[in-house]
Amino acid sequence: MRSSLGVLVVMMVAAGAPASAHHSFAVYFDDQTIIAVTGSVTDFRFTNPHAVISFNVKNAKGQIEPWRAETNAVTLLRRRGWTKDSLSIGETITVEGWRSRDGSHYMRMRTVKRADGTVLGTPVSNQRVD
Amino acid sequence: MTRGKLLLLVVILLQLCSSGAQGQQTTKTRPNLSGYWAAGRAFRSAEAPRGQLPPNTVLLADAGAPELPAGNFGGLKVKPAALAAAMKWKPQDEMTISRVCLPPSIVYSMQGPFPMEIHQGTELIVMRLEYYDLVRIIFLDRRGHRPASAPHTKVGDSVGHWEGDTLVVETTHLSESTITNNGLTHSDNVRMIERFWLSADGKTLMSRQEFEDADVLENRGARYVAWDRGGPNDHIFPYECDPSFATNYPQKN
Repeated sequence: MRSSLGVLVVMMVAAGAPASAHHSFAVYFDDQTIIAVTGSVTDFRFTNPHAVISFNVKNAKGQIEPWRAETNAVTLLRRRGWTKDSLSIGETITVEGWRSRDGSHYMRMRTVKRADGTVLGTPVSNQRVD
Repeated sequence: MTRGKLLLLVVILLQLCSSGAQGQQTTKTRPNLSGYWAAGRAFRSAEAPRGQLPPNTVLLADAGAPELPAGNFGGLKVKPAALAAAMKWKPQDEMTISRVCLPPSIVYSMQGPFPMEIHQGTELIVMRLEYYDLVRIIFLDRRGHRPASAPHTKVGDSVGHWEGDTLVVETTHLSESTITNNGLTHSDNVRMIERFWLSADGKTLMSRQEFEDADVLENRGARYVAWDRGGPNDHIFPYECDPSFATNYPQKN
């Protein structure tokens, strides 16, 4: 089911959500629905308590929608191989993760794929921790 | 040699023997907790807790990655005033530039899914938590706690001693902070007892945390937390919280 050109509802999940570590995940994000959003990176802030990826998504009407994806703590991302240079402005990525409860274009990242399908960082078996 | 001098010599020798025997026993049973310990987690089913929880103590099920949902305080019996405050709490209140980088006290921080480093000496132990760059100093020299008038902080004032192979730490002088990350806050009168020990193979650090706060709670809370030993090339990273992260969320007027 596509809600817009760049947004794909991937699956319903029964498993729990990742720990926010500093703020309550469940309050802000829908832990039952994972979406995949494809767009072009406009900014990447690699700081704690959470890194933020900003990217533009073209919707079904051809309009540009600015999206942001919040990640785990940067310290945890570093152990998975991420750096401040992991993303380049203008590159196309697909962010998979949990959507914002308030319907805004904000989400919690689970994985990021480059245009060639490469997954950023070391894949993990337990996203709740890593 | 007079009888008095002989008696004095015997007393000194007895004391030397006693302290020597005690020292050998301590050296033999005291584990080395130094090293890098990976993200805190709950005990696994095969990992047995030590001892029994004291009466009127509830075990919280939020150690490691899990979190308690809003309005669920894990069985803690919260006094009316504190409960009213906890139920009025809104998570959005925390997502402001002035609050988003405030570290939680060790009551919450010690159970989070972040690693830490331990540097163990004979007079003190240093715990460096990656989470919010918190640094704990646990004094082992039997100095006692600071005066009641001393400042309270997020790491508090910790004094410890060894009971066999178990490090027992008592912390006071903690400043008001969250207990469960969902609105329930402990007062600056909270007192925490932690027991740390190593698994039989030395690869896992285990702890039992207990806390009491007569201003807020009618019972006591407890958590079991475990950390897996890392390698020599594992290190904690600086946290260096950036408060501008809060601008991703709607700001309060």
